[in-house]
Amino acid sequence: MQSKIRVVVPLLLATLIVSFSCSSLLALAQTSSENKPNQDQSKSDPAPSSDLKPTASDEGQLATVNNAKIPAYAKVYVAPMSGGFENYLIAGLRNKKVPLTVVVDRAKAEYEISGVSESDKAGWAKMLFMGSQQSNELASIKVSDLRTGAIVFGYSVHKGNSVRGKQSAGEACAKHIKQIVVD
Amino acid sequence: MYNKRCVATILVALVLSVVLAEADDPKHEATANKIPKGSKVFIAPMPDGFDTYIKDAIKKKKVPVEIAASRDQADYEMTGTSETQKAGTAKKLIMGNWHSREEASVTVSNIKSGEVVWAYSVHQEASTHGKRSSAEACAKHMKDEIEK
Repeated sequence: MQSKIRVVVPLLLATLIVSFSCSSLLALAQTSSENKPNQDQSKSDPAPSSDLKPTASDEGQLATVNNAKIPAYAKVYVAPMSGGFENYLIAGLRNKKVPLTVVVDRAKAEYEISGVSESDKAGWAKMLFMGSQQSNELASIKVSDLRTGAIVFGYSVHKGNSVRGKQSAGEACAKHIKQIVVD
Repeated sequence: MYNKRCVATILVALVLSVVLAEADDPKHEATANKIPKGSKVFIAPMPDGFDTYIKDAIKKKKVPVEIAASRDQADYEMTGTSETQKAGTAKKLIMGNWHSREEASVTVSNIKSGEVVWAYSVHQEASTHGKRSSAEACAKHMKDEIEK
Protein backbone atom coordinates (compact mmCIF):
# COMPACT_ATOMS: atom_id res chain seq x y z
CA MET A 1 0.00 0.00 0.00
CA GLN A 2 2.80 2.37 0.98
CA SER A 3 4.69 1.61 -2.22
CA LYS A 4 1.58 2.51 -4.24
CA ILE A 5 1.26 5.84 -2.43
CA ARG A 6 4.95 6.51 -3.10
CA VAL A 7 4.30 6.11 -6.83
CA VAL A 8 0.94 7.91 -7.06
CA VAL A 9 1.85 11.05 -5.10
CA PRO A 10 4.86 12.03 -7.29
CA LEU A 11 2.78 11.26 -10.38
CA LEU A 12 0.01 13.57 -9.21
CA LEU A 13 2.45 16.31 -8.33
CA ALA A 14 4.13 16.00 -11.72
CA THR A 15 0.81 16.31 -13.61
CA LEU A 16 -0.21 19.34 -11.55
CA ILE A 17 3.14 21.06 -12.17
CA VAL A 18 2.93 20.32 -15.90
CA SER A 19 -0.66 21.66 -16.16
CA PHE A 20 0.17 24.85 -14.23
CA SER A 21 3.31 25.49 -16.26
CA CYS A 22 1.31 25.00 -19.48
CA SER A 23 -1.34 27.50 -18.38
CA SER A 24 1.28 30.09 -17.35
CA LEU A 25 3.10 29.65 -20.68
CA LEU A 26 -0.17 30.19 -22.53
CA ALA A 27 -0.85 33.35 -20.53
CA LEU A 28 2.66 34.65 -21.27
CA ALA A 29 2.18 33.97 -24.98
CA GLN A 30 -1.13 35.87 -24.95
CA THR A 31 0.33 38.96 -23.24
CA SER A 32 3.33 39.04 -25.57
CA SER A 33 1.05 38.84 -28.62
CA GLU A 34 -1.08 41.69 -27.20
CA ASN A 35 1.96 43.90 -26.65
CA LYS A 36 3.56 43.13 -30.01
CA PRO A 37 1.60 45.66 -32.11
CA ASN A 38 2.55 48.45 -29.71
CA GLN A 39 6.24 47.61 -29.96
CA ASP A 40 6.08 47.34 -33.73
CA GLN A 41 4.29 50.66 -33.96
CA SER A 42 6.89 52.43 -31.84
CA LYS A 43 9.66 50.99 -34.01
CA SER A 44 8.07 51.97 -37.29
CA ASP A 45 7.09 55.49 -36.15
CA PRO A 46 10.18 57.60 -35.70
CA ALA A 47 8.31 60.90 -35.23
CA PRO A 48 6.56 61.31 -31.83
CA SER A 49 4.01 63.72 -33.30
CA SER A 50 2.57 60.89 -35.45
CA ASP A 51 1.52 58.98 -32.30
CA LEU A 52 -1.76 60.87 -32.13
CA LYS A 53 -4.19 59.52 -34.69
CA PRO A 54 -7.52 61.26 -35.16
CA THR A 55 -10.45 59.24 -36.46
CA ALA A 56 -12.84 60.13 -39.22
CA SER A 57 -15.62 61.27 -36.89
CA ASP A 58 -17.62 64.42 -37.43
CA GLU A 59 -18.73 64.68 -33.81
CA GLY A 60 -15.67 63.97 -31.76
CA GLN A 61 -11.93 63.78 -31.82
CA LEU A 62 -10.13 60.64 -30.83
CA ALA A 63 -6.50 60.03 -30.09
CA THR A 64 -4.72 56.81 -29.25
CA VAL A 65 -1.11 56.82 -28.18
CA ASN A 66 1.10 54.30 -30.00
CA ASN A 67 -2.04 52.41 -31.07
CA ALA A 68 -2.40 51.28 -27.47
CA LYS A 69 -5.12 48.76 -26.75
CA ILE A 70 -7.02 47.77 -23.64
CA PRO A 71 -7.44 44.01 -23.11
CA ALA A 72 -11.04 42.78 -22.93
CA TYR A 73 -12.52 42.47 -19.45
CA ALA A 74 -9.84 44.72 -17.96
CA LYS A 75 -10.93 46.36 -14.72
CA VAL A 76 -11.75 50.02 -15.24
CA TYR A 77 -12.49 52.67 -12.64
CA VAL A 78 -14.60 55.63 -13.76
CA ALA A 79 -13.65 58.67 -11.71
CA PRO A 80 -16.36 61.12 -10.59
CA MET A 81 -17.00 63.85 -13.15
CA SER A 82 -18.93 67.10 -13.13
CA GLY A 83 -22.72 66.70 -13.29
CA GLY A 84 -22.51 62.95 -12.51
CA PHE A 85 -21.33 62.24 -16.06
CA GLU A 86 -19.56 59.06 -14.80
CA ASN A 87 -22.98 57.40 -14.41
CA TYR A 88 -23.93 58.22 -18.01
CA LEU A 89 -20.57 56.90 -19.20
CA ILE A 90 -20.99 53.61 -17.28
CA ALA A 91 -24.51 53.28 -18.70
CA GLY A 92 -23.06 54.00 -22.16
CA LEU A 93 -20.40 51.29 -21.71
CA ARG A 94 -23.15 48.82 -20.85
CA ASN A 95 -25.47 49.97 -23.63
CA LYS A 96 -22.73 49.75 -26.26
CA LYS A 97 -21.65 46.36 -24.88
CA VAL A 98 -18.05 47.40 -24.30
CA PRO A 99 -16.24 44.33 -22.94
CA LEU A 100 -14.80 45.99 -19.83
CA THR A 101 -15.36 45.35 -16.12
CA VAL A 102 -16.24 48.57 -14.32
CA VAL A 103 -15.22 48.66 -10.66
CA VAL A 104 -16.10 51.22 -8.00
CA ASP A 105 -12.81 50.87 -6.13
CA ARG A 106 -9.82 52.57 -7.77
CA ALA A 107 -7.38 50.24 -5.96
CA LYS A 108 -8.87 47.21 -7.77
CA ALA A 109 -8.65 48.78 -11.24
CA GLU A 110 -6.08 48.52 -13.99
CA TYR A 111 -7.29 51.55 -15.95
CA GLU A 112 -8.96 54.81 -14.99
CA ILE A 113 -11.38 56.90 -17.03
CA SER A 114 -11.50 60.56 -16.03
CA GLY A 115 -12.87 63.61 -17.76
CA VAL A 116 -15.11 66.65 -17.82
CA SER A 117 -18.55 67.37 -19.19
CA GLU A 118 -20.67 70.44 -19.73
CA SER A 119 -24.30 70.91 -20.62
CA ASP A 120 -25.89 74.07 -22.03
CA LYS A 121 -29.68 74.09 -22.08
CA ALA A 122 -31.44 75.68 -25.04
CA GLY A 123 -32.24 79.33 -24.36
CA TRP A 124 -35.18 81.36 -25.68
CA ALA A 125 -33.15 82.59 -28.69
CA LYS A 126 -32.30 79.02 -29.76
CA MET A 127 -35.94 78.03 -29.40
CA LEU A 128 -37.19 81.09 -31.30
CA PHE A 129 -34.67 81.27 -34.14
CA MET A 130 -33.57 77.64 -34.48
CA GLY A 131 -36.80 76.00 -33.34
CA SER A 132 -34.73 73.59 -31.24
CA GLN A 133 -35.09 72.85 -27.53
CA GLN A 134 -32.20 70.38 -27.45
CA SER A 135 -29.15 70.96 -25.31
CA ASN A 136 -25.55 71.59 -26.26
CA GLU A 137 -23.31 68.86 -24.84
CA LEU A 138 -19.56 68.88 -24.39
CA ALA A 139 -17.54 66.06 -22.91
CA SER A 140 -13.95 64.97 -22.90
CA ILE A 141 -12.48 61.82 -21.41
CA LYS A 142 -9.10 60.18 -21.07
CA VAL A 143 -8.15 56.60 -20.23
CA SER A 144 -4.97 56.08 -18.25
CA ASP A 145 -3.06 52.94 -17.32
CA LEU A 146 -2.84 52.97 -13.52
CA ARG A 147 0.32 50.84 -13.41
CA THR A 148 2.41 52.89 -15.82
CA GLY A 149 0.56 56.19 -15.50
CA ALA A 150 0.46 56.52 -19.30
CA ILE A 151 -2.59 57.94 -21.02
CA VAL A 152 -3.63 55.34 -23.58
CA PHE A 153 -6.70 56.99 -25.06
CA GLY A 154 -8.42 60.34 -25.29
CA TYR A 155 -11.72 61.41 -26.80
CA SER A 156 -13.79 64.55 -26.88
CA VAL A 157 -17.33 64.97 -28.10
CA HIS A 158 -19.42 68.04 -28.92
CA LYS A 159 -23.07 67.84 -29.83
CA GLY A 160 -24.76 71.10 -30.73
CA ASN A 161 -28.24 69.58 -30.62
CA SER A 162 -28.09 66.54 -28.42
CA VAL A 163 -31.34 64.59 -28.71
CA ARG A 164 -30.68 62.61 -25.51
CA GLY A 165 -28.50 65.11 -23.62
CA LYS A 166 -25.74 63.61 -21.48
CA GLN A 167 -26.85 60.10 -22.44
CA SER A 168 -25.82 60.75 -26.07
CA ALA A 169 -22.43 62.12 -25.03
CA GLY A 170 -21.82 59.16 -22.69
CA GLU A 171 -22.71 56.67 -25.40
CA ALA A 172 -20.48 58.43 -27.94
CA CYS A 173 -17.53 58.15 -25.54
CA ALA A 174 -18.33 54.48 -24.85
CA LYS A 175 -18.59 53.68 -28.56
CA HIS A 176 -15.12 55.07 -29.19
CA ILE A 177 -13.62 53.33 -26.13
CA LYS A 178 -14.88 50.07 -27.64
CA GLN A 179 -12.61 50.68 -30.66
CA ILE A 180 -9.48 50.25 -28.55
CA VAL A 181 -10.64 47.23 -26.56
CA VAL A 182 -9.23 43.99 -27.94
CA ASP A 183 -10.87 40.61 -27.40
CA MET B 1 -5.62 -2.65 -11.89
CA TYR B 2 -2.92 -0.39 -10.51
CA ASN B 3 -2.39 1.23 -13.93
CA LYS B 4 -6.12 1.98 -14.21
CA ARG B 5 -6.04 3.76 -10.86
CA CYS B 6 -3.05 5.83 -11.92
CA VAL B 7 -4.76 6.88 -15.15
CA ALA B 8 -7.93 7.78 -13.24
CA THR B 9 -6.04 9.96 -10.74
CA ILE B 10 -4.19 11.74 -13.55
CA LEU B 11 -7.48 12.38 -15.35
CA VAL B 12 -9.06 13.76 -12.17
CA ALA B 13 -6.06 16.06 -11.63
CA LEU B 14 -6.28 17.34 -15.20
CA VAL B 15 -10.03 17.97 -14.95
CA LEU B 16 -9.49 19.86 -11.68
CA SER B 17 -6.80 22.06 -13.21
CA VAL B 18 -9.04 22.85 -16.22
CA VAL B 19 -11.94 23.73 -13.89
CA LEU B 20 -9.67 26.01 -11.82
CA ALA B 21 -8.38 27.73 -14.96
CA GLU B 22 -11.98 28.29 -16.15
CA ALA B 23 -12.86 29.88 -12.80
CA ASP B 24 -9.98 32.37 -13.21
CA ASP B 25 -11.12 33.35 -16.70
CA PRO B 26 -12.28 37.02 -16.64
CA LYS B 27 -14.81 36.38 -19.43
CA HIS B 28 -16.50 33.82 -17.21
CA GLU B 29 -16.57 36.32 -14.33
CA ALA B 30 -18.03 39.05 -16.50
CA THR B 31 -20.95 36.93 -17.67
CA ALA B 32 -21.65 35.76 -14.11
CA ASN B 33 -22.32 39.33 -12.95
CA LYS B 34 -26.10 39.46 -12.64
CA ILE B 35 -28.48 40.67 -9.97
CA PRO B 36 -30.22 37.61 -8.50
CA LYS B 37 -33.90 37.80 -7.50
CA GLY B 38 -34.48 38.78 -3.88
CA SER B 39 -31.08 40.47 -3.42
CA LYS B 40 -30.78 43.31 -0.94
CA VAL B 41 -30.14 46.65 -2.61
CA PHE B 42 -29.10 49.82 -0.81
CA ILE B 43 -30.13 53.00 -2.60
CA ALA B 44 -27.57 55.70 -1.90
CA PRO B 45 -28.71 59.31 -1.53
CA MET B 46 -28.95 61.06 -4.90
CA PRO B 47 -29.24 64.73 -5.83
CA ASP B 48 -32.74 66.28 -5.56
CA GLY B 49 -34.01 63.26 -3.58
CA PHE B 50 -34.11 61.05 -6.66
CA ASP B 51 -33.45 58.03 -4.39
CA THR B 52 -36.96 58.34 -2.89
CA TYR B 53 -38.51 58.27 -6.37
CA ILE B 54 -36.41 55.20 -7.18
CA LYS B 55 -37.62 53.43 -4.00
CA ASP B 56 -41.25 54.18 -4.90
CA ALA B 57 -40.73 53.05 -8.47
CA ILE B 58 -39.11 49.76 -7.37
CA LYS B 59 -42.20 49.02 -5.30
CA LYS B 60 -44.62 50.16 -8.00
CA LYS B 61 -42.98 48.16 -10.77
CA LYS B 62 -42.65 45.13 -8.48
CA VAL B 63 -38.91 44.74 -9.02
CA PRO B 64 -37.92 41.47 -7.30
CA VAL B 65 -35.38 42.99 -4.90
CA GLU B 66 -35.41 43.99 -1.24
CA ILE B 67 -34.54 47.57 -0.33
CA ALA B 68 -31.97 47.63 2.47
CA ALA B 69 -32.01 50.44 5.02
CA SER B 70 -28.24 50.51 5.43
CA ARG B 71 -25.28 49.74 3.20
CA ASP B 72 -23.94 47.10 5.64
CA GLN B 73 -27.05 44.94 5.23
CA ALA B 74 -27.03 45.10 1.43
CA ASP B 75 -25.52 42.96 -1.33
CA TYR B 76 -25.75 45.67 -3.97
CA GLU B 77 -25.61 49.46 -3.98
CA MET B 78 -27.42 51.77 -6.35
CA THR B 79 -25.85 55.18 -6.98
CA GLY B 80 -26.87 57.76 -9.50
CA THR B 81 -27.62 61.25 -10.52
CA SER B 82 -30.63 63.12 -11.85
CA GLU B 83 -31.35 66.51 -13.28
CA THR B 84 -34.63 68.31 -13.83
CA GLN B 85 -35.24 71.42 -15.84
CA LYS B 86 -38.68 72.91 -15.53
CA ALA B 87 -40.21 74.40 -18.67
CA GLY B 88 -39.37 78.09 -18.90
CA THR B 89 -41.50 80.85 -20.38
CA ALA B 90 -39.79 80.46 -23.75
CA LYS B 91 -40.51 76.72 -23.88
CA LYS B 92 -44.12 77.31 -22.90
CA LEU B 93 -44.73 80.15 -25.37
CA ILE B 94 -42.60 79.11 -28.32
CA MET B 95 -42.70 75.32 -28.11
CA GLY B 96 -46.12 75.09 -26.44
CA ASN B 97 -44.73 72.57 -23.95
CA TRP B 98 -45.29 72.66 -20.17
CA HIS B 99 -43.49 69.47 -19.33
CA SER B 100 -40.10 69.31 -17.67
CA ARG B 101 -36.89 67.96 -19.13
CA GLU B 102 -35.59 64.98 -17.17
CA GLU B 103 -32.25 63.27 -17.16
CA ALA B 104 -31.17 60.46 -14.85
CA SER B 105 -28.54 57.79 -14.70
CA VAL B 106 -28.16 54.95 -12.19
CA THR B 107 -25.47 52.36 -11.53
CA VAL B 108 -25.80 49.16 -9.49
CA SER B 109 -22.58 47.71 -8.07
CA ASN B 110 -21.80 44.58 -6.11
CA ILE B 111 -20.65 45.71 -2.66
CA LYS B 112 -18.41 42.67 -2.07
CA SER B 113 -16.60 42.55 -5.42
CA GLY B 114 -16.88 46.28 -6.16
CA GLU B 115 -17.91 45.54 -9.76
CA VAL B 116 -20.64 47.43 -11.57
CA VAL B 117 -23.30 44.89 -12.57
CA TRP B 118 -25.91 47.11 -14.18
CA ALA B 119 -26.26 50.69 -15.35
CA TYR B 120 -28.96 52.65 -17.10
CA SER B 121 -29.53 56.22 -18.22
CA VAL B 122 -32.76 57.91 -19.23
CA HIS B 123 -33.53 61.18 -20.96
CA GLN B 124 -36.99 62.63 -21.41
CA GLU B 125 -37.34 65.92 -23.24
CA ALA B 126 -40.95 66.42 -22.11
CA SER B 127 -41.62 64.27 -19.06
CA THR B 128 -45.30 64.06 -18.11
CA HIS B 129 -44.69 63.06 -14.50
CA GLY B 130 -41.24 64.58 -14.00
CA LYS B 131 -38.82 62.60 -11.83
CA ARG B 132 -41.44 59.89 -11.25
CA SER B 133 -41.34 58.96 -14.96
CA SER B 134 -37.55 58.69 -15.11
CA ALA B 135 -37.40 56.70 -11.85
CA GLU B 136 -40.04 54.28 -13.16
CA ALA B 137 -38.09 53.90 -16.40
CA CYS B 138 -34.99 52.94 -14.38
CA ALA B 139 -36.99 50.48 -12.24
CA LYS B 140 -38.65 48.91 -15.27
CA HIS B 141 -35.32 48.28 -16.99
CA MET B 142 -33.83 46.93 -13.76
CA LYS B 143 -36.71 44.47 -13.50
CA ASP B 144 -36.15 43.39 -17.12
CA GLU B 145 -32.47 42.80 -16.38
CA ILE B 146 -33.20 40.71 -13.26
CA GLU B 147 -35.86 38.62 -14.97
CA LYS B 148 -33.76 38.08 -18.11
